[in-house]
Amino acid sequence: MPQRQAPGRTFPITEEVDFVVIGSGPAGGSVARELTRNGFNVVLLEQGRAIPPEDMEHDELGALITGRWTNDAEKQPQTFRQTPAAKAERRQYIGYAMAVGGTSFHYTANYWRFRPIDFNEFSVRGGVKGAALADWPITYDELEPYYTAVEWAIGVSGQTSDNLGEPHHSRPYPLPPLNVTGPGVLLEHGCQKLGWTSKAAPMAILSREYKGRQPCHNCGFCLAFPCEWGAKSGTNYTMVPEALRSGRCELRSQSYVRKIETNEAGRVTGVIYFDKDRNEVVQRAKAVVLCANGAESPRLLLNSKSNRFPDGLANSSGVVGKHLMFNGNPGSRGVFEHEVNAHRGPVVSRITHEHYELDPALGLWGGGGFDMRLSVPAMLTTLSMPPSEPQWGSAFKKRVKTWFTHIAEAAGHTSSLPVADNSISLDPELKDAWGLPAIRTTYKEHEQDLRLYKYFRDRSVELLKAAGATKTDEAPINDDPGFAVHLLGTCRMGNDATSSVVDKFHRTHDVRNLFIVDGSSFVTSGRGQPTLTIQALAFRAADHIAQFAKRGEI
Amino acid sequence: MTLSRRGFVTGLTGTSAVWLVGAIACRDAADPAMQSHTPPADSPAPPRELRFLTPDEFAEVQAIAARIIPTDETPGAREAGCAWFIDGGLATFGKDAQPLVRDGLVTLARDVAKKHRGKRRLSELTEAEQDEMLKSIERTPLFGFLRFTTIAGMFALPKYGGNKDYIGWDLVGQERVFEFKPPFGWYDHPDNQRALLGRVL
Repeated sequence: MPQRQAPGRTFPITEEVDFVVIGSGPAGGSVARELTRNGFNVVLLEQGRAIPPEDMEHDELGALITGRWTNDAEKQPQTFRQTPAAKAERRQYIGYAMAVGGTSFHYTANYWRFRPIDFNEFSVRGGVKGAALADWPITYDELEPYYTAVEWAIGVSGQTSDNLGEPHHSRPYPLPPLNVTGPGVLLEHGCQKLGWTSKAAPMAILSREYKGRQPCHNCGFCLAFPCEWGAKSGTNYTMVPEALRSGRCELRSQSYVRKIETNEAGRVTGVIYFDKDRNEVVQRAKAVVLCANGAESPRLLLNSKSNRFPDGLANSSGVVGKHLMFNGNPGSRGVFEHEVNAHRGPVVSRITHEHYELDPALGLWGGGGFDMRLSVPAMLTTLSMPPSEPQWGSAFKKRVKTWFTHIAEAAGHTSSLPVADNSISLDPELKDAWGLPAIRTTYKEHEQDLRLYKYFRDRSVELLKAAGATKTDEAPINDDPGFAVHLLGTCRMGNDATSSVVDKFHRTHDVRNLFIVDGSSFVTSGRGQPTLTIQALAFRAADHIAQFAKRGEI
Repeated sequence: MTLSRRGFVTGLTGTSAVWLVGAIACRDAADPAMQSHTPPADSPAPPRELRFLTPDEFAEVQAIAARIIPTDETPGAREAGCAWFIDGGLATFGKDAQPLVRDGLVTLARDVAKKHRGKRRLSELTEAEQDEMLKSIERTPLFGFLRFTTIAGMFALPKYGGNKDYIGWDLVGQERVFEFKPPFGWYDHPDNQRALLGRVL
């Protein structure tokens, strides 16, 4: 039995530490681990709780409906509008995990790398009207060592040898692929029929024991669920415990930062946060690394305005909160003759990147990929039977007996365009339970993206039919996606201080000792699986931040 | 992120929105790190005491739930205790739906009386009459809510009051298991992989 973790270090509240890191997810947990490895003291602040394995029930109602492990609709209300001209109305649009580990506490753990095209598509393909496209200030090759470092640090299962359009890997994956699942075989079968390439999905789930952690037990509860076995390589099981073991990190969970403090010289001096009893605590630091996610990071900057930074901290460009991107999820669902039992095994085991880059003749920007899976357990799978099936009564009951076990979804994951009006901003009226301005989301899909999603949805039907589906039903495509969990682009990186928030090392253009790294750093959205890139950016940022600190350049 | 989050959940807006309130308290731990990685123990089902519905309302809710997922050769909503789940939900995370249910049942009683002389409750009607009545209110918020929550109660953990002994999971083939070994189903069985793909992945 694994031994209980040392609790880490405790810093006196009066002590100025080297770094405060805000957020313990894929970005913040990694930054904390990397900075402590470099000898720095870190206070890691996380607004969620530390949730132990014995509380990780297969609780579908809690996970997917009542918000047991996600941001709280009552205490953290939000508003939404589609365009800046509209008045925003109460609606919980942004969802994220509220726990130590952030998103990686409950992710599906798809760990796709980006490819070179994801960093320079603007140069290669040109712009799109109505979209604020730009190249990233870094290339794939600059990020590659950090992709590799992440994969080996946390344990990623996959296969590089099939060489199907995969970008350069300086090392293979540390672990072989996970068990193939029923939907995985169906995806392979469909791809073979269509002549599409396919491969083992790279997943941040252990296929073998790794660094003292147990491999996947194939329970099937990945998406939106924490892993009771510790086989998912989330920061709650990897980076955060390592940071704590260093003896240089203190984790303070249930700590909700309300303001990043600055002085007259325009430098960050620390943060003010509410502890779990709602006491205000000031934690001073030589530098702050903000990793609160693509919605909460810009919100905190906007909430941290001062006389010196009247439009919000690090917002001289005016782009904090702008260019919000979610990734598209066009797909469809198929019914199969035999038992698929898609609820057993990892949610995803095989993928196709056949449509990663599209024929320019299609006139579509971006691209994406597919996996096959069952996204949700029995409750939501049964509740969401299409209108063509019986909805209640005897016929319904007969139908549900084979529905859950005989379906699979072809799930698409695509790029989405950065649009300046799509944004996170502060609601002018609504406040959260702590009295802070609430998140206001403004979002409308770009017309080009709607065509891209339609193209992918059509391919998903094609894939299911080739795999032998006897019936298919399609997910709706709407310019209001309804709910979002991939939170990208809102503090974009760039070389130009007038059009971006952070530089290529994640230092804010405006404040020398403030860094931001998380999904908000993205310049473009990638093809639908952002988490590995967020984590690789965090490793790279921490590497540079540590070097700056050692050279006295912070 | 896929159908669940875009299509499914969106499609449920209206009924689900009222359930999206309040997080259920979780115990905090000393630290998040590696501990005893074993599946959590079953939380016990709550005592069967009404928390919001009156006994009369409960009987009506139970009758409706029993028509949404009837009892045939296998147990249905009645045996699963879906009405207990609904009552518990209305007292906790589904508080916002209290007026919808209370007022909706009053309207339903009126509709029953109009159609069936001398009767005032759905639960007094024959199953065929109940089905006919429910068909006529299929598009009302009351029915939408009770359909959603009956199905939710069939599959939510027993600690929420329904899904007694996991009979909802048994109905559709979701197991109370924290570990599976391949093959998981027909398609990934090695013989069928060979037939479909010409190889075993």
